[in-house]
Amino acid sequence: MEIPYIFTPRKDTGMVNSKIAIWLFLASEVMLFGGFFSSYVYLRLGADYPWPERALPVLPGLINTFVLIFSSVTVVFAWASLKLRKWRMFQLFMSITIVCAAIFMGLKGIEYNVKWHHQAIRLSDYTILEGHLGYDEKAIKADGKKHEADVIHVNAEKLTFSTVRFHKPWVEEMLRQAKANNAKIALAEELQIEGQAIAAGTELSVELLEGIKKNHLDSRANNADVRTDALRAEWATAKAKVENVGKKGWELAPNINIDPAKIEKLLKTETSSVTFAVTPATNLWFKHRDIKEGAAQSRLRDDTAIIGKLEDSPVVLHNLDAIDFRHVVMKAEEKGIDPVVAIENTWLIKNSEEAREAWEWNKAQTAKLEKELLEKYGLDEHNQPKRVPTLTERYRIGWKDFVSKADGVDKGQADIHTSEEFMGPNYELRKPAHTFPHLSVPRELVFLSGKFTPAWNTYYAIYFTMTFLHGLHVIGGAIVLGYYLFRGKKMYQSNPEWLANRVEVGGLFWHFVDLVWIFLFPILYLM
Amino acid sequence: MADSPEQIKKAVKSYIVIGLVLFIFTGVTVAVATIPALDIGVHGFDVMDMILGLAIATFKATLVGYVFMHLNHEKKAIYWIFFGAFVFFAFMIILFMAAKSDPIHYNGFNFGLPY
Repeated sequence: MEIPYIFTPRKDTGMVNSKIAIWLFLASEVMLFGGFFSSYVYLRLGADYPWPERALPVLPGLINTFVLIFSSVTVVFAWASLKLRKWRMFQLFMSITIVCAAIFMGLKGIEYNVKWHHQAIRLSDYTILEGHLGYDEKAIKADGKKHEADVIHVNAEKLTFSTVRFHKPWVEEMLRQAKANNAKIALAEELQIEGQAIAAGTELSVELLEGIKKNHLDSRANNADVRTDALRAEWATAKAKVENVGKKGWELAPNINIDPAKIEKLLKTETSSVTFAVTPATNLWFKHRDIKEGAAQSRLRDDTAIIGKLEDSPVVLHNLDAIDFRHVVMKAEEKGIDPVVAIENTWLIKNSEEAREAWEWNKAQTAKLEKELLEKYGLDEHNQPKRVPTLTERYRIGWKDFVSKADGVDKGQADIHTSEEFMGPNYELRKPAHTFPHLSVPRELVFLSGKFTPAWNTYYAIYFTMTFLHGLHVIGGAIVLGYYLFRGKKMYQSNPEWLANRVEVGGLFWHFVDLVWIFLFPILYLM
Repeated sequence: MADSPEQIKKAVKSYIVIGLVLFIFTGVTVAVATIPALDIGVHGFDVMDMILGLAIATFKATLVGYVFMHLNHEKKAIYWIFFGAFVFFAFMIILFMAAKSDPIHYNGFNFGLPY
C-alpha cells in the first residue's frame, strides 16, 4: 500500500502527513514527560527528608548537555544538506549526531554505574553514611568470592520451611553453605507422607521438599473436598426433615455442623511446614534484604524460620566517603532540639574518632565561611547576616570535604582529579593521605542500607525514572536517525525530498529529546 | 517554509548562532548555580535560583523550538497541537500542586474519614 502525501503537502492541512503525525506524537510526549515533571514537583514538595539538592556530579551532566545541543545542531545541518542535495555532507552530519547519542549514553552509563556501586546507610538515629563496603570474610559465595560486608549471619540450629512457599534457590544456597561448613541439614522428626514414613535424619534436598509440598497440596485439596461433601450431606439431611420444610437457609444454618468423627478417616495429613535440624549448628549467611533478623529466631522472605542465635553482622564501610547529618537536623528541629547537640549525641560522633574529627573540622570550616559571608555581605535591616552557610555546608561532609581535610586545605579548595569528577573518589589515590575513614556499624543500628538505586529514596526514584525514560528516547531517536543514514540512500535516489522530509521528522523528535534534557539537567543536577 | 537553497543557506547560519547561544546559556546556568559570587538570592540554592534556572531553561527550550524545530514558520495547526499539550501539562502540574496542599491525613485507622 502506498502511503499518500509523503512528499507533497496534503491540501487541507497544508503539510505532509508525517509532519502532522510527529507533532501529534510530540504533543503526547509533552504529556508523558509532563506527568513525570509533575510527579517530581509533588515528591519534592512532599519529601519527609532533606531533598538532596545538587547531589549529582555536575560535570558529566554539563558535558551531556553540550553533547545534546551539539547533536541538535548537526541534525538540522544534516537536514539542510539534504535540502541542498549534498549527500556526503548529510552522511557526515548524521554520523556526528549518532556519535553524540553514543557519547551521551556512555556518560549516562558511567553515572548510573557509579550510583549502583555506591553504598548508603541510614542509621536509626537518622545519620546517613555513604561509601564503599568492604568484604565479609565469612560470607563466601558459590563462585569462591567474598560477599560485600552487608550480610546477616545466623548460627542456625533448626530450619522450618513453609512447604508451599519455600524458594528453591535459597534452599540450595543453604545446603551449599552447610556443606562448606561440614554440617548436615536433616529431618528433625519422622514424617508420614501418603502412609509412608520418612525417617528422622533424612537429609534435606529440594526434591524432598517438592515431594512434601505435592503431598501437602493434594491432601489439602482432598480435605477440602471431604469437608464440602460432608457439609452438603448435612444440608440435604436437614432440608429433608419434615419440621424444616419451608424454613429459610439462614434459619437452618446455626444447626448444621459436620461431625468430625464421620470424616476423620477420609482426611489426609496436611504438612504446611517441616522442620530440619542442623548438626552441628552452623553459620549461615543471608543477604540482608532477604531476612528479618531476630536475636533467637529469624525469618526469610519465603517464610522459612531459622532458629538460632543471631551472630555479629556489622555493615563494614571500607571507605566512608560522606556523612550526612541533614536528616538528624530535620528531626531535631521538629522536636525543638539544638541540631548541634543532636548531632553530637549520635552514635557516629560518640563512637568514631575519625568521624568526630571530620565533624569538628567541618564545624570550623562552617564558622570560617559564616565569617567570610558576614564580612562580604554584611547585615540586613533586622541585624541578621544577609547570607549564611547552607544546610548542606553545615551538616553534610561530602567526599570532596574529606579530601580537603586530608590535604589540609579549606572546604571547596580540594585538588580533584578529572576522573574523580565522573567516577567519584579514587580510593587508591587517596589511600596514602588516609582520606576516608574505615567504619564498622553494628547491625542493630542500621535502619536502611542499600546502593543509590531507585529504592534508596524518592529523589533517586524520580531521577532514575526520568533520566532512564529520556535515555530510551535517545536510543530510539538514534536508531531512527541511523536508519536514515545507513538505509536512506535508496529513498534519496528515488526522491531526495522524500528523505529530507523523513529526516526533518526524525530531527523534530531529536530536538524534542534535547528540549527535555534542557529542563532535566538544571532540575536534577543544579536544583 | 525555508525551501530554496538561498533560504536554507541563510537558515544554516542562524542554526550556528542559536547553537552558540544555547552553549553560552548552558554555561550561564551552571555558573550561577556553582560559583558563589554569581549566586542570586540567599547563599546556596533557593527560590530565586530556581526561577532563574527555569527561566534560562525555558529560554533555551524556546530557541530550540522556534529555530531548530521550525516553529517560527509553521502551520497554525501545529501550534494548536503542540501548545495545546502544554496547556494540559500546566493544568496537570497545578492539580498536583493543589493536591499537595490538600493531603489525605492517614491516622492509622480510618483514612481521615469522620467515623
